[in-house]
Amino acid sequence: MQPFALNYARPAAELEVTTPYAYDSGLQLNVLLDGRIAASDHALLRELGTTTSTAGSKTHFDD
Amino acid sequence: MTVLILTSEEDVTADMVVVHLNASGVPVVRLDPADLTGGVALSGEYVHGAFRGHLWASGRLVGMEGLRSVWVRRPGVPASRVPEPSDWLSEESSQALYGMLRGTDARWMNHPDASHRARHKPWQLRLAQRCGLPVPATLITTFPQAAREFAARFPDLVVKPVSGAHPQEPPRAVPTSRVAPDTDFTAVAFGPTLLQRRVAKRADVRLTAVGERLLAARKVTPPDADPDEVDVRFASAATPWTPVEVPPRVAEGVRDYLRQAELAYGAFDFAEDADGTWWFLECNQSGQFGFVEVETGQPIARTIAEWLAGQEPEAGTACGGGTSGALYR
Repeated sequence: MQPFALNYARPAAELEVTTPYAYDSGLQLNVLLDGRIAASDHALLRELGTTTSTAGSKTHFDD
Repeated sequence: MTVLILTSEEDVTADMVVVHLNASGVPVVRLDPADLTGGVALSGEYVHGAFRGHLWASGRLVGMEGLRSVWVRRPGVPASRVPEPSDWLSEESSQALYGMLRGTDARWMNHPDASHRARHKPWQLRLAQRCGLPVPATLITTFPQAAREFAARFPDLVVKPVSGAHPQEPPRAVPTSRVAPDTDFTAVAFGPTLLQRRVAKRADVRLTAVGERLLAARKVTPPDADPDEVDVRFASAATPWTPVEVPPRVAEGVRDYLRQAELAYGAFDFAEDADGTWWFLECNQSGQFGFVEVETGQPIARTIAEWLAGQEPEAGTACGGGTSGALYR
């Protein structure tokens, strides 16, 4: 039988989002296609949800 | 003196801090231990009673004696991206990297030993009690009968994972969930189960602690909210996060918690009840903060950057000042 808590499990939401930015190792920052720094665009971050408490990876369950 | 940031490339939340460090002219080296031994290299020698270590990443070389701080944000498993990864190589790489860094004088956010201990939620609950933070009645057990008796004493319960981890085979999420009064607790015997009295909350509170500075935000629970939607991370309510003052007794308890946990950073979750009491739920030692800053405008990233740079926030800022964050080295 499965542990009690797993009776309340649900399918994991698809966390993969296509981000419109890429890491620039020279700047050590993620940069948008137009050259702007992604972290400075708070409206974009809010839209993408990449800074939210459910955006952690499989190896980081601290939300 | 350089700030070393250990995190993944896609960690745009870390970017928010790097931006502030860059603006302050503080040197930064950012790397993901997962890239050992590809894009990241290390070397350290112990000769004539002295240690000299170096890290290299993306064309940047930094001496370990020149590190002012280490921010362990969202690092990958060391050497996990090599062509032929193995548990052995990851352990070798972990010991080499973190072992050498442990020998430096850099301050940590957070130290790996403190982080490891702080992830244990049962330990968190006990520490919170000791620090005077209200903790909802909680039971962790593998005895079905204990669960039944607890449910009889506290009929309105929630269940949540003891570890906070979500199962991966297959990938599933286990949100904090309400337990029905007539629930069959037989399956408690098949895994440690954390049951907790449900707090009838009027708001969720996320308190982000950086050194001595506390920045709290509050998300109101709508009066017509579904009482079965317990976990704010999965709730559908669209109410915003807004800044909130930290009650003095909570601030005192949180600072005591951080001192005893030896943490420089912690993201505390509270449930605020109808009386205004903040009930401690957990403290995530590496909890996300970007979503709070984006919604509230609170200067969390800047505060982290200041801590990493060794520029202590002024006493009395935000919700109370205090002693130096340099306590947490």
